[in-house]
Amino acid sequence: MLVLDHVAKTYANGVRALDGVSLEVAPGEIVAVVGGSGCGKSTMLRLICGLDQPSRGRILLDGTPISGPHAKIGIVFQEPRLLPWLTVAGNVGFGLSDRPGAQRRHRVAAALDRVGLSEKAQAWPRELSGGQAQRVALARALIMRPEVLLLDEPFSALDAFTRIDLQDHLLDLWTDLKPTLVVVTHDVDESIVLADRVMIMCPHPGRIFAEIDAGLPRPRDRQSAAFDFAKRRVLAALDRSLDRVVTTDDGETKSAAGAALWW
Amino acid sequence: MTVSAEPNISEPAASRGRLPRWVRPALGLAVPLAAAVGWEAAVRTGLGDGRLVPPPSVILATLAELTRSGDLGRHAIATVMRVASGFALGVVAGTLLGAVTAYWRVARHLIDPTLQALRAIPSIAWVPLFILWFGIFEASKVILIAVGVFFPVYLGVLGAILSVDRKIVEVGRVFRLSGPAMVRRILLPAALPTYVVSLRAGLGLGWMFVVAAEIMGASEGLGYLLVDGQQLGKPAQIVAAIIAFAVLGKLSDSVLAMAAAPLLRWEDAFGARR
Repeated sequence: MLVLDHVAKTYANGVRALDGVSLEVAPGEIVAVVGGSGCGKSTMLRLICGLDQPSRGRILLDGTPISGPHAKIGIVFQEPRLLPWLTVAGNVGFGLSDRPGAQRRHRVAAALDRVGLSEKAQAWPRELSGGQAQRVALARALIMRPEVLLLDEPFSALDAFTRIDLQDHLLDLWTDLKPTLVVVTHDVDESIVLADRVMIMCPHPGRIFAEIDAGLPRPRDRQSAAFDFAKRRVLAALDRSLDRVVTTDDGETKSAAGAALWW
Repeated sequence: MTVSAEPNISEPAASRGRLPRWVRPALGLAVPLAAAVGWEAAVRTGLGDGRLVPPPSVILATLAELTRSGDLGRHAIATVMRVASGFALGVVAGTLLGAVTAYWRVARHLIDPTLQALRAIPSIAWVPLFILWFGIFEASKVILIAVGVFFPVYLGVLGAILSVDRKIVEVGRVFRLSGPAMVRRILLPAALPTYVVSLRAGLGLGWMFVVAAEIMGASEGLGYLLVDGQQLGKPAQIVAAIIAFAVLGKLSDSVLAMAAAPLLRWEDAFGARR
């Protein structure tokens, strides 16, 4: 169980990136986090994976406070961030350097096979397409068998076809070990495709504005009416979250800003 | 239009701006060869006086004589040994201190200002002191070369590590690398391209300082040949020693560049296109 308990983050320059964020994510649950820019989505992920420390509040994994990068928490960034001086296989096995060679090779081969890149094992990262590089980044994170995998707009730099392909691929990989997934995204479709719950955040300071239970059976049909309905609920909540006048208390009031401005 | 364009398509790449393999080195040799042949002709025809600027034939004869007598080999080996040991010392010290100051902020604030101040001293100024401290034999020479090599390597490592992409460093943090592991597995590989450049700069300075050290006083070495040629009025010997320096310097730089090339195959940079 991943727990955020009244987490706040104020940067050194005084910007209140997050304030009073509380969230409980059950093991194996997939949570999507959407919201406009500057609402603290990425800050939240950086706090969970221990790259930054919260100013106030606590983050707990299975009851243990997180104070730094944690073996059971992995992250995939918006950019693949592969190490250019290692081959694809070297990148995937990066976190396994303390394991015996045979075991490491076996797991790397299995992980590469799982993301369909076995024939690229000896390629350099510069020789990969954007989608392939992001698959390598996924394999590098998943090979550590994390309990929690954080994804920070993982597919936002990819074209639409590759993105849909990788969303399905991610869900397929998720079924192997069912880690908890926390996916930050700009893409409302993506949040509905992936998530059990969608958290909508709002800025100034960043906080959770609304929570929407997607409640759709898997696998999800992007064309179904239920999908469309869930999507409209998320869009409506986003719309309200960006209204500067209306506060969380009276979320029913219509905003003039319009859905088009949420990003 | 299409008819006239067709032969171009089938033409080999060589005739369309890409030179055959042998042309590039040949082009590079054209200017020095032309100068040598020109001067030789000028001296032979009496247009030039070859006493202070010996023609290539005399220089070659001197080189051949020095080689036959074994003098050239002996002096070259003495110089190469000094450069090699000074370079090794300077590289080890520069790399270690550069990595430590880059990684630990406290160490940087503690020793970088001192090192930068020392760097401002022209290294030749150390010579009298080094001779007092380490004697007139090998130690003072090797240490002078090491000092010359140290600074470009130190600066190269420090600068390269400080400019490693934060995003790559975060990958190391997420995988919970310890301090030394972070240096070894992330910072040094990322800094390697710049590091190789600073090694080559350091080697160049090593060759510079070996001349200074040997001119100051040595009984053997290519620098000794220079001084000996000046004192005995043998310009051909001076030029022969200079040529030996040029060949050895270029050779050692090429060896270094070639040794580093396999480690930099991953580079995806403008300069990496061969």
